[in-house]
Amino acid sequence: MTLEWLAPVPAILPLFGAGLALAMWRSKRAQLIISVVVLALVLAAALTLLLTVGDAPYVLDIGGWSAPVGINVVADRLAALMLTVSSAVTLCVLLYSMAQGLADGGEDTPVAIYHPTYLVLAAGVNMAFLAGDLFNLFVAFEVLLAASYVLITLGGTSARIRSGTIYIVVALVSSVIFLAAIALVYAATGTVNMAHVALRLPEIDPGVAQVLQLLLLLAFGIKAAMFPLHAWLPDSYPTAPAPVTAVFAGLLTKVGVYAIIRTQTLLFPGGTVDTLLLWLALATMIVGILGAVAQDDIKRLLSFTLVSHIGYMIFGIALSSQAGLTGSIFYVAHHITVQTTLFLVVGLVERRGGTTSLDRLGGLAKLAPGLAILFFIPAMNLSGIPPMSGFLGKVGLLQAGVADGTPLAWALVAGGVVTSLLTLYAIVKAWNKAFWQIPPAPLEGAPLPRGMVGPTTALVIFGLGLTVVAGPLYTYTEQAAANLRDRETYIVGVLPDGKRGTGESDEVVAEGGSS
Amino acid sequence: MLSLLIAHAVAALLAPTLVRAMGRKAFLALAVVPAVAAAWLVSQTSAVLRGDGPVEVVRWVPGLSMDLSFQLDTLSWFMALIVTAIGAVVLVYCASYFAASAAGLGRFSAVLVAFAGAMLGLVVADDMLLMFVFWELTTVFSYLLIGHYADRKASRRAAMQAIVITTGGGLAMLVGVIILGDAAGTYRLSELLADPPAGTAVTVAAVLLLVGAITKSALIPLHFWLPAAMAAPTPVSAYLHAAAMVKAGVYLVARFAPAFAELGPWRTTVVALGLGSLLVGGYRALRQNDLKLVLAFGTVSQLGFLVFLVGLGTQQAALAGLAMIGAHAMFKAALFLVVGIVDSATGTRDLRRLSGVGKALPVTAAAGILATASMIGLPPFAGYVAKEAALEAVLVSGETWVDTLVVVGVALGSALTVAYGLRFVWGAFATKSSVIPDPDAPEEDGEPRPAPVSRPALLLAWPALALAVGGLAVALVPHYGEQLLSPYAGTLPRGEAGHLTLWAGFTPAFFITVAVLAVGVGAFFARELVSRVQTRLHVPLEADSVYRRTMRRLDDLAADVTALVQRGSLPFYVGAILLAVVVLPGSVMVARTAWPAEVRLWDRPAQLAAAAIVVTSAILAARSRRRLKAVILLGVSGFGIAMFFLLHGAPDLALTQILVETVTLVVFVLVLRRIPPYFSDRPLAASRWVRLAVGVAAGLAVGGFALVAPAVRVHTPVSIDFPQEAYAYGGGKNIVNVALVDIRAWDTMGEISVLLVAATGVASLVFLSRRSGSLFRAEEADGGAAVWAGKEPASGVTRLQRAASVHARQASSAERYSRMRVWIRAGATLAPGRRSVIFEVVTRLLFHVMILYAVFLLFSGHNAPGGGFAAGLVVGIALMVRYLAGGRYELGEAAPVHPGLLLGTGLFLSAGVGLVSLLLTGNPLRSLLIDLQVPLLGEVHFVTSLFFDLGVFLVVVGLVLDILRSLGAEIDRQGELAGQDVGPGAATVHGGGS
Repeated sequence: MTLEWLAPVPAILPLFGAGLALAMWRSKRAQLIISVVVLALVLAAALTLLLTVGDAPYVLDIGGWSAPVGINVVADRLAALMLTVSSAVTLCVLLYSMAQGLADGGEDTPVAIYHPTYLVLAAGVNMAFLAGDLFNLFVAFEVLLAASYVLITLGGTSARIRSGTIYIVVALVSSVIFLAAIALVYAATGTVNMAHVALRLPEIDPGVAQVLQLLLLLAFGIKAAMFPLHAWLPDSYPTAPAPVTAVFAGLLTKVGVYAIIRTQTLLFPGGTVDTLLLWLALATMIVGILGAVAQDDIKRLLSFTLVSHIGYMIFGIALSSQAGLTGSIFYVAHHITVQTTLFLVVGLVERRGGTTSLDRLGGLAKLAPGLAILFFIPAMNLSGIPPMSGFLGKVGLLQAGVADGTPLAWALVAGGVVTSLLTLYAIVKAWNKAFWQIPPAPLEGAPLPRGMVGPTTALVIFGLGLTVVAGPLYTYTEQAAANLRDRETYIVGVLPDGKRGTGESDEVVAEGGSS
Repeated sequence: MLSLLIAHAVAALLAPTLVRAMGRKAFLALAVVPAVAAAWLVSQTSAVLRGDGPVEVVRWVPGLSMDLSFQLDTLSWFMALIVTAIGAVVLVYCASYFAASAAGLGRFSAVLVAFAGAMLGLVVADDMLLMFVFWELTTVFSYLLIGHYADRKASRRAAMQAIVITTGGGLAMLVGVIILGDAAGTYRLSELLADPPAGTAVTVAAVLLLVGAITKSALIPLHFWLPAAMAAPTPVSAYLHAAAMVKAGVYLVARFAPAFAELGPWRTTVVALGLGSLLVGGYRALRQNDLKLVLAFGTVSQLGFLVFLVGLGTQQAALAGLAMIGAHAMFKAALFLVVGIVDSATGTRDLRRLSGVGKALPVTAAAGILATASMIGLPPFAGYVAKEAALEAVLVSGETWVDTLVVVGVALGSALTVAYGLRFVWGAFATKSSVIPDPDAPEEDGEPRPAPVSRPALLLAWPALALAVGGLAVALVPHYGEQLLSPYAGTLPRGEAGHLTLWAGFTPAFFITVAVLAVGVGAFFARELVSRVQTRLHVPLEADSVYRRTMRRLDDLAADVTALVQRGSLPFYVGAILLAVVVLPGSVMVARTAWPAEVRLWDRPAQLAAAAIVVTSAILAARSRRRLKAVILLGVSGFGIAMFFLLHGAPDLALTQILVETVTLVVFVLVLRRIPPYFSDRPLAASRWVRLAVGVAAGLAVGGFALVAPAVRVHTPVSIDFPQEAYAYGGGKNIVNVALVDIRAWDTMGEISVLLVAATGVASLVFLSRRSGSLFRAEEADGGAAVWAGKEPASGVTRLQRAASVHARQASSAERYSRMRVWIRAGATLAPGRRSVIFEVVTRLLFHVMILYAVFLLFSGHNAPGGGFAAGLVVGIALMVRYLAGGRYELGEAAPVHPGLLLGTGLFLSAGVGLVSLLLTGNPLRSLLIDLQVPLLGEVHFVTSLFFDLGVFLVVVGLVLDILRSLGAEIDRQGELAGQDVGPGAATVHGGGS
């Protein structure tokens, strides 16, 4: 028996769990059990997909409705990798946030809605990774965005409402652009199934195809926080509760990057906008990291490094080469892990030090040596210090850039190492202040609950694990990139005869017609 | 070799535990690890000499051509031996250097051992990327070690400076390595050096490698981090900043010199910066008063000399360079250890404060003097042998003026070395006639006294003495050293085999040495004069301050750029996004697409009317100052859209759109009760024009897209297959409904989760942590009729209420109402003035009809307009009517159920249908057609997707109920609570923005 049936599980199971958790709003315990079990099952499903998927993706026409009439979910190597990393991260963050909620006595977080919302967020992210249909991708974005609107304003403090407003309005604008783009895609090609669009786009006017490409790029670029569409991110993420910021920083921007990878490789091969993308990548890197250098709040600092390193991923995509794409995919997996971990650690710092302002923190290396280790490892990983995954991803991208050899690629290589150095500078500045300097005033912090330290440690180890399994993992991302660039396996997997999918709805019609 | 590295890693991980268990004695245990490594290296000597040193390869990341490959050739072997042997000695020294009670020893020991491991890895790695891995690791560990005394600002600054500069160089080197790997097709050092690539890119790569070496080995102009790094504990200075880490740059140059020494830029860089560092370092060492700084600048000087020798590219120079590396490692480490002893014995390192230390600490002084003798090149020490060989090497090719200059430079540098070496010995150990006072001590009368000398443990002196004596011992067998090192020197492209010897006869080199010693000694004795001249010649330009200024500039630039981009203004961000839409796809549209040949403006004129309504109301909405007006205009625009749907023959969509608009309008009005009636901050006029321009441009661009996109379609749309398949496979005649609950049920499932989340989100903001807010049942209402009792209702619903109950107000008597017929159940909870008999009667009549209609819509949806979504909205509107007629208790009576339960059950049901189907058929959301014979009703034909639709229905009802409860009922309640505090007049309205 093949495992196609497993493909929709990561999306449908959390929704089911969300409904159940909300219906059982009276019992925190039941909610917790539901969430943990659901996310653990999703992780298991994702891992199974990751380990078993080959060159041919798992394709399932939902409800037997043959694509492109119906919707299909597609789990290829890239999707399976994204699912696995994101599931691991969401599970850890959930455990962390539960410990935080318990430690805070559940007073300032409405836990009853936290679980359902969090599960819906996970469902939306997973649905996006699995989407084989542009409109379904839009729906997935809506699902995860709606959940994120709720999470970012959790607790309703005025700071969160203010930053939430920026976040929500910008997200809505991007949704409108995305929706308009889908409508235009349908207008131009008569379909929204991605494999089908991929078949039809080369046959329509290339000018219009490029308009569509740029519109989709902008819509996803906003979500991925690509320059000049990024400014909303550092203004909105840092005020949310630590676990929320962690999961946003880790996952949501990467869903945007994923969508860019998917659409650019599948729908718009040939790299007609590569030059533009390379410039944007360079600007994203530099502007982002300068922002990080200018911060004195550690959460804002990390938000800016997040923006900056999106530039790396765009860089790899824009090279339109096997090596570049491989590097990007690897970097995405790395960055999800490390950025989430760091925000969780900063949550611990905030708890232990009572603040995230670098001017007021200090001496944490002595006060909390364990916390110092938990910060130092992912921080160095983010800065691309070998032999950690950040370094490996960076080397992959630099190799791709050097192999490309155009002047612009050289500029990106230079920009990449400068960004790397400035990241280190910003991180080291933060370390010097938060962990080494003598605090200007005694810190008013609480001890760290084991339940929060545990998941953080797990993620730190997971991040180090990416280095240990770097060999097979890198090979895997290479294969994923090859599949993406090949396109054929994907399209044939979805539409074996080039017309209809594997569902039986068209066959029923055909039978009905003949009888 | 891999196992040795693992041993270091394990030792580093165990170190904190060991220190906790054994105290500072743990360093002795840890010293075993590098000692064993050194012993193993010694055991490999003959194999390395034969040229078949051990090789290990473990695959790691083949995708990046990065393997754990190690090779032990002469150079690696020699460097590794230095690194491990001195590492062991320094660890032994640490065991008595630190106070038994010193803090942070666990971390320190762990990092130091880890550093030793990384250093070993660096010199034995055969893969360039792997070498870089260890290279960066040494940088990071050195950062932690320099910052050991973290509460001193100087330590923190020095640590940061060191990591920024060396990583900067390291990254340049990484790019160089990658270029080389790309050009050579391999990252193996052994393969690359066997067949070095060539070309412009390779030359660039070679220079980038040199940049890495320069930063790591603290050559000018990036040398200043090394003196600053003296903030580290002395063992760190001895190990990292004398023997090991700073030698990494020298190693790198030595490693690549066989391949690249012939390149012009390489030679220029090596000679200029190497000799420059030799001179600048020596010159500045003369001016230092801190013993450690004397050594630090001395190290800069020596490192310059080393890089120069190994980078020059001749066999003689390479041999001399290697000998010098060994000699330097021994004497400089020994000298640092000596300074550490003096420091801990006297509490100062200022040579102007020290006097009589040599008498008090004879063993230490002996070590210091022996090591200095080697440093200044006195026979018969290792330093002498190496320096003689170096002079021979540079004298070989005395053809051009550059070569002459080189000889002069080397001689001058050596003379400076002699001068500051003597000054060091004098400063540390001599008994002086006068000293300066202790800057920290209180003012005293009379002659300032030298720092008192205490007697540290003798164990502290042995490591230094051992290293110093080692410098003598190896010099006595120079031919053996030559034999060991010449295999490497033989790989250099130019020159002839060099020699190491104690006595080569009266060669030119000998006379130069004599001259050097004479000048050096002279300069030492004339130190007062030299010092005065140096003060006179003082150049204000210091690399350190250039660095500081650069970093400050960088911070300023960062702040400026960020302030420019990060405006914190939502209109700015949205404007940027819209401009991007106009500029990027817009310009492509203008440049690359053709305008459609024929544009049909409308199908029927009614569409024009609908369009006019939509456009006009949208523009007016944007212009309106009153919130309520804007909301109503928005609703009008929405109804216009519904008209479009109707005109296009989509009654289903039109019905849904109208219901949605109705619900939205009511929700808005509920919200507006708590928001000021006018938009507060109107943008300035100029900004309004900009906004208008951006808006118009964006609108035109999108309009243009909508014109050009459909015109290029050449394919049949997929919707052509919908009607047949919806009927044959979905079992329904209403395509819209089948599409929603079956064909695209996957989307619908997602969308209802959006509804669920939106509902809970709204509720969470209103109820904050009290999600479980009560249900407002009528029996809980506390006696008096008080809902909506405020006297000054300002807007929205309350005003509506007032209008509806105008006649009731005139005859406001509670008894009279209590005798009235009960039309709605909680009517009595309402303030008497807010009740309306007509509204109550109408509600009574309408409610059940609407519910019935909703049920009809739900079940007929599959074949006629309707469906769960529309049905849910109708029920929602029915609930709204109840709420508007009777207040929150009426709502509680109408729907005595928690909305969370409805929402949760709805999603649970919809997703559950999918899951069940997944388990049964292996495909989620697959529907089955079921025909049943039911008595009375006859044949019932239904599709399992009905359950899915039921879930949709429940979620929609839950959503409306949740909104009514939070934005209606709960805000009422909060308003009344607030009203009790401030008096009845202020109830319910004029709350601040939430």
